[in-house]
Amino acid sequence: MGVTCVSQMPVAEGKNVQQTVELLTRKLEMLGAEKQGTFCVDCETYHTAASTLGSQGQAGKLMYVMHNSEYPLSCFALFENGPCLVADTNFDVLMVKLKGFFQSAKASKIETRGTRYQYCDFLVKVGTVTMGPSARGISVEVEYGPCVVASDCWSLLLEFLQSFLGSHTPGAPTVFGNRHDAVYSPADTMVQYMELFNKIRKQQQVIEKRKPNQ
Amino acid sequence: MADVLSVGVNLEAFAQAISAIQALRSSVSRVFDCLKDGMRNKETLEGREKAFIAHFQDNLHSVNRDLNELERLSNLVGKPSENHPLHNSGLLSLDPVQDKTPLYSQLLQAYKWSNKLQYHAGLASGLLNQQSLKRSANQMGVSAKRRPKAQPTTLVLPPQYVDDVISRIDRMFPEMSIHLSRPNGTSAMLLVTLGKVLKVIVVMRSLFIDRTIVKGYNENVHTEDGKLDIWSKSNYQVFQKVTDHATTALLHYQLPQMPDVVVRSFMTWLRSYMKLFQAPCQRCGKFLQDGLPPTWRDFRTLEAFHDTCRQ
Repeated sequence: MGVTCVSQMPVAEGKNVQQTVELLTRKLEMLGAEKQGTFCVDCETYHTAASTLGSQGQAGKLMYVMHNSEYPLSCFALFENGPCLVADTNFDVLMVKLKGFFQSAKASKIETRGTRYQYCDFLVKVGTVTMGPSARGISVEVEYGPCVVASDCWSLLLEFLQSFLGSHTPGAPTVFGNRHDAVYSPADTMVQYMELFNKIRKQQQVIEKRKPNQ
Repeated sequence: MADVLSVGVNLEAFAQAISAIQALRSSVSRVFDCLKDGMRNKETLEGREKAFIAHFQDNLHSVNRDLNELERLSNLVGKPSENHPLHNSGLLSLDPVQDKTPLYSQLLQAYKWSNKLQYHAGLASGLLNQQSLKRSANQMGVSAKRRPKAQPTTLVLPPQYVDDVISRIDRMFPEMSIHLSRPNGTSAMLLVTLGKVLKVIVVMRSLFIDRTIVKGYNENVHTEDGKLDIWSKSNYQVFQKVTDHATTALLHYQLPQMPDVVVRSFMTWLRSYMKLFQAPCQRCGKFLQDGLPPTWRDFRTLEAFHDTCRQ
């Protein structure tokens, strides 16, 4: 597991999501990357059931259960600012049994699907983020295999990102700042995806709020 | 090939032992013959039984005698000398088909040739060092006293000395840890871990570095049965490139008379890879060239360059 950076690519002016994805993949292929199959990352939201909150009236916490096709035998469960649990796929079945404590938020499933590209030691995944039937955004994930310490190779990753994202290059992910000299793990990637999905959900809510006013 | 094996073997006792084996074989076959023949025809049943038992006992006694004789002789014969220079490959001499596969004689010739070459090269380097082109008076000029060495001793160093040198170098650099093991005979295999950047497997021959393989920090360096994997390459192009550079380095740092200096210089050069992913190229200023970071480290200045940017 190498250091990974997940970011969002804004949709190009005057184009839709699909065309922007195509632009990106064409740039990658010109750089010399090879296509290597597809990938999928999905996320479901659960919130703690009202019955377990007790009389304190504390707000229910949101829990995200995610899967990543890069680790097909694993299931990730994480709280927003809390720990990330890495379990095997039987965890989904467990969630069904825990219906009394965790209830699935309606229409909460969000996922990103797309193609994987390999360029030298970089693994690039460009995916379309969809909520339900409609595409909401573009996710770009770049993994640099050889390095396992995040703070070491950020400059290297940045240079690579600039070469094909141009001006849309993101800043350093927050997970890089938290862990100096600690070995990077897949859980950090899932935290980045969770933040990305939340951002896209918020953008969607803002758009929907604007609509009745127009 | 008996001349090579005769260092510790008593040939007399050897010949006697062979005839003792033959005697033992014949007495054992006599025992079985006696059993096969069964009882001889005599007047009474008791007489027959007694005669059979007496005959059987005689045969068993003779077997016992011959066995003891053989054991005594085998202790006298002695073992072929343990510090045989070819060790296990000396067993190749037992191959009976000498004309088609003259492996053993060729092996002996190759070893003698390489030892002679080492010796002559040592003499030549001593002579050449005396005629130094440098202006400063080097202490190598005083090597006239040390020069007449009978054998190239640096090839046959005691393992304890090698261990000491390696552990001293291990303590020199805090971010580099060296683990020494000897899974295949006397040649040492080092597993060098450099921070959280990379792992290097170094195969040595006494105190000379033979081969290196560089792998990533998260890659597996052991085979399925737990032994050090010294053959498989890294999965990442970066480390395959660094392996090539490391091989160039071990060919570059050569000093036959002082191999511990060589190992120290090699480790110093290797340590410069601590900042493999953080240092930009000194020539073009960028981090990536064809997807690779600056993998070349100059042998004198230890500066980082891309493979295509180096002078």
